[in-house]
Amino acid sequence: MTTASRYDAIVIGGGHNGLVGAAYLARAGKRVVVLERRHLVGGSVVTEEINPGFKYSVLSYVVSLLRPEIIRELDLPRHGLEILPLESTLTPLPSGDYLARWADHDQTRRELYRHSPKDAEAYDDYGKLMYHLAFAVKPIVAMIPPDPTSLSFKDLKSLLKLSRHFRSLGSEQFHALFKLMTMSSADFLDEWFETEALKATMSASGIIGTFLGPRSPGTAYVLLHHYMGELDGAFRSWGFARGGTGAISESIAGAARRFGAEIRTETAVAQVVVKNGRAVGVVLENGDEIRAKVVVSGLDPKRTFLQLVDSSHLPDDFVKSIERFKIRGSSGKVNLSLSELPDFTALPGKGAHHRGAISISPSVEYLERAYDDAKYGNYSRRPYMDMIIPSMIDPGMAPPGKHVMSIFVQYAPSDLEGGWNEAKREAFGDTVIETLTQFAPNLPRAIIHRQALTPWDMERDFGLTQGNIFHGELSLHQLFSLRPVVSFADYRTPIKGFYQCGSGTHPGGGISGWSGRLAALEVLKDW
Amino acid sequence: MTTTYDAIVIGAGHNGLVTAAYLAKGGLKTLVLERRELVGGAAVSEEIFPGFKVDTGAHRIGAFHPAVLRDLGLAAHGLELVESDLSVFSPLPDGRAFALWRDAQRTAESIRQFSSADADNWVPFTQLVGKATGVLEAAYRTAPPDLAEGTWKDIWAMARLGGKLRRLGRRDMPEVMRILPMTARELLDEWFETDVVKGTLAAAAITGLFQGPMAAGTAYTFLHHHVGAGNGAIRPCVRVRGGMGSLTAALAAAAAQLGVEVRTDAAVEQVIVEDGRATGVVLAGGDEIRARTVVSNADPRRTFSQLVHPPHLTPEFTRKIKNVKLKGVCAKVHLALSELPRFSRAGDNGAQLGGTISISPSLMYLERAFDDAKYGSLSAHPYLEAVIPSVTDASVAPAGKHLMSVLVQYAPYHLKDGQWDAARCDALGDAVVGTLAEYAPNIEAAILERHVLSPLDLEETFGLTEGNIYHAELTMDQVFFMRPVPECARYRTPIEGLYLCGAGTHPGGGVNGASGYNAAREIVRDSKREL
Repeated sequence: MTTASRYDAIVIGGGHNGLVGAAYLARAGKRVVVLERRHLVGGSVVTEEINPGFKYSVLSYVVSLLRPEIIRELDLPRHGLEILPLESTLTPLPSGDYLARWADHDQTRRELYRHSPKDAEAYDDYGKLMYHLAFAVKPIVAMIPPDPTSLSFKDLKSLLKLSRHFRSLGSEQFHALFKLMTMSSADFLDEWFETEALKATMSASGIIGTFLGPRSPGTAYVLLHHYMGELDGAFRSWGFARGGTGAISESIAGAARRFGAEIRTETAVAQVVVKNGRAVGVVLENGDEIRAKVVVSGLDPKRTFLQLVDSSHLPDDFVKSIERFKIRGSSGKVNLSLSELPDFTALPGKGAHHRGAISISPSVEYLERAYDDAKYGNYSRRPYMDMIIPSMIDPGMAPPGKHVMSIFVQYAPSDLEGGWNEAKREAFGDTVIETLTQFAPNLPRAIIHRQALTPWDMERDFGLTQGNIFHGELSLHQLFSLRPVVSFADYRTPIKGFYQCGSGTHPGGGISGWSGRLAALEVLKDW
Repeated sequence: MTTTYDAIVIGAGHNGLVTAAYLAKGGLKTLVLERRELVGGAAVSEEIFPGFKVDTGAHRIGAFHPAVLRDLGLAAHGLELVESDLSVFSPLPDGRAFALWRDAQRTAESIRQFSSADADNWVPFTQLVGKATGVLEAAYRTAPPDLAEGTWKDIWAMARLGGKLRRLGRRDMPEVMRILPMTARELLDEWFETDVVKGTLAAAAITGLFQGPMAAGTAYTFLHHHVGAGNGAIRPCVRVRGGMGSLTAALAAAAAQLGVEVRTDAAVEQVIVEDGRATGVVLAGGDEIRARTVVSNADPRRTFSQLVHPPHLTPEFTRKIKNVKLKGVCAKVHLALSELPRFSRAGDNGAQLGGTISISPSLMYLERAFDDAKYGSLSAHPYLEAVIPSVTDASVAPAGKHLMSVLVQYAPYHLKDGQWDAARCDALGDAVVGTLAEYAPNIEAAILERHVLSPLDLEETFGLTEGNIYHAELTMDQVFFMRPVPECARYRTPIEGLYLCGAGTHPGGGVNGASGYNAAREIVRDSKREL
């Protein structure tokens, strides 16, 4: 049966970008419906009580780059958003020593000095440079990528704007930015620092979501992400949402509803209906059809164009490009319920470090070896890990005296030799615990419940193709005007009235909401 | 003190000689000073085995700058280039082999034994390479524009390149933009499925690079090595009759005819700088030679950390030079042979051995070779690029004997434990011979003499810092207007009157004379302005 078109716009997928997009469309007075396959909204940004009483930020676990414009324009605090800062980064070392960076700048300097006076000196200069560079890329992140192949006034104008912007930086910053975009994080940091743990912990941010090692070019620019947030006054842009990341999605959903958007969960879309080159609605898996003037997909490019749309509606070149889009998953996630805090040999007892990020990245070589395993189709025997203990920041996350721990793990390749299965997933979980136990020996006995997620689970449960957490690898040839496909980086698609708003579009990756916002604004321009 | 020369070129490498010849053409009284007893730099032939003319450094030339060949009339000075019909012979342990011919169709047929899909993709792939390298070639023929602080001239130059890119059309333009920063593996996986095909192509992407074929930007390096090779030619094997030394001998002769004076055994110790301006050089013996212009063919690190007194440079600049990545990864092994190696069980040798022999059975083989180097040791199973010049050129070896030159990768300059010494060189030689023997078992018995050049030897013999054969790594952050550092990207340096003309400048890498040619044009332009 077909329901009469009560809607102006349908947003496929209630992930955070889909919700942001819906909120902005509704805010502009459009009648919007969000269709979410699962029983709750948020996509990869959800809080779930997998183990009763213990709240897991199942996949995404920290707020990295949520744009202040969005927080302001959607008035998210009013809908329950509260970001709590992560106060430190601890890197425990096999030697029993550690490297820590604290909220307090002087304390960090003293700590760095302990490892290397030279690095303590360089740290501030480095921070200044990165701050300036972050400032320099901010307008680029915020702009609609121009189409370099087009000669339209609009595109030429924004290309010109872009070149003007670069020239306005001046020689030093322009070249520093160029190096940052093209170098490996390891090489870039080698120019500044000598402490292995510092270089490794910093460069780790450059490999997240890519299938590259820290010594591969193209991993350096992500170093900027940590400093983007500082522009907005947040501490190194890393924060934790009270109630878990799900609270972010809930607050955006709340804002969307307030603007009049309708959100339907357990409503899976099977097909986008295209009538003579124009999207006119969707067919649900239960056969119902919903009509609307505009359809926006928050799903990743492969799902959006290879599953929801009949390829006969798309140009062959475009389909080929989407098929070639690199979306290998390289990471896993482990969530733990704990009866007690992990007690780190390097920093015994309960301390401030439990309220910050803890990074297992003792050396660049450690990360490279973790990558080598993945290169040849295995998960890392000694993986890179970034973890936080949400219950230390928000006691509501676990019963009194108990704790939850979020562990991001890389590398776990989607194309594992022989494929993934339950047994391999649990073996992967064991590897993670074994590795951590070397740094916090009490961990095994503290575990009440464990949830391990591999790229295989992420694809099946969260609809992330190949389990790629960013809807597509963040490598140079898949950024800006090339994300996901050249000439369609402006959120439009070859089908009229059909748009994309997920992380597979510029700027992509992380909980920024930026793709959703820019997409909605483009949709409104065409209205 | 009276200026006896207009220009001094430090180092008689092939780029130095090209620059000197063009400076003389431009009316500058030019002197070339070479530390060694012979000219040629890394493009020389030496009799390290009695009766053999061994190309101790480079054993192949790249696509040599056509203007240089023409302008300097190198053919008239005895240069004869030999391109073999078989570009690359890539054997497999099982006796099969991938033959890469000058003729694309013929190559496709050779691939068909492995995969007909790959065979069908071959010609379209070479066409894409041809288009991409065509755009790069336009960029390689001029000094890179200064995008940050340049004048309208620079913007115009950039716009012209953009125009060239656009002319590829809506379909190919974005494709070329897309592939440049990719990994060689990603690019090749999109086209081919056969391991030996991907390995042999990827080998061209990692030569001289401290990276494996799974590192971003290696698709660019692959294209770099094909710029100017002519439409879609892949890994062409061009050699110089009589050995590489004949190329630089022809360049020296051409330069001499144009009035250039070349002095060998004349090591420059220092560049004289007065009030921020280069005014000459001091030789090892202490002699001073004055000139208004000083051009260094040495690599950027050597030029600024050894030839120029630090006080003449800002700390920022010195720091950038210190940060130029060199990271040598190549070694050379030369073998005098009593007979030709027998590679394929099929027999029929000569024909297979006229081109480059590439030990690159798969892309992963190369990546694993890099893994060893990444952690500071020599590849257990190294990538080998070998040539046997005596197959097509009898003049380089005694009658009935043969000469094999092998480029070995990865042999990292910086070893995890210790330094390169005689024992390590022997180990490297054994690893190379052992690897070759897996493909051509008779080679061990055929070896009359063996000579190993470690990265350290390359540094000491040819003055290549850290043994880097390209004077600076060809990574995305060190090419075009970033090569070697932005302050020197247009061949000028922070010191007035001091220029760079070596492979450490744009476009760099390979024996092609492009850097020397571009540098000379800028220098002559400046000298005209001054007069």
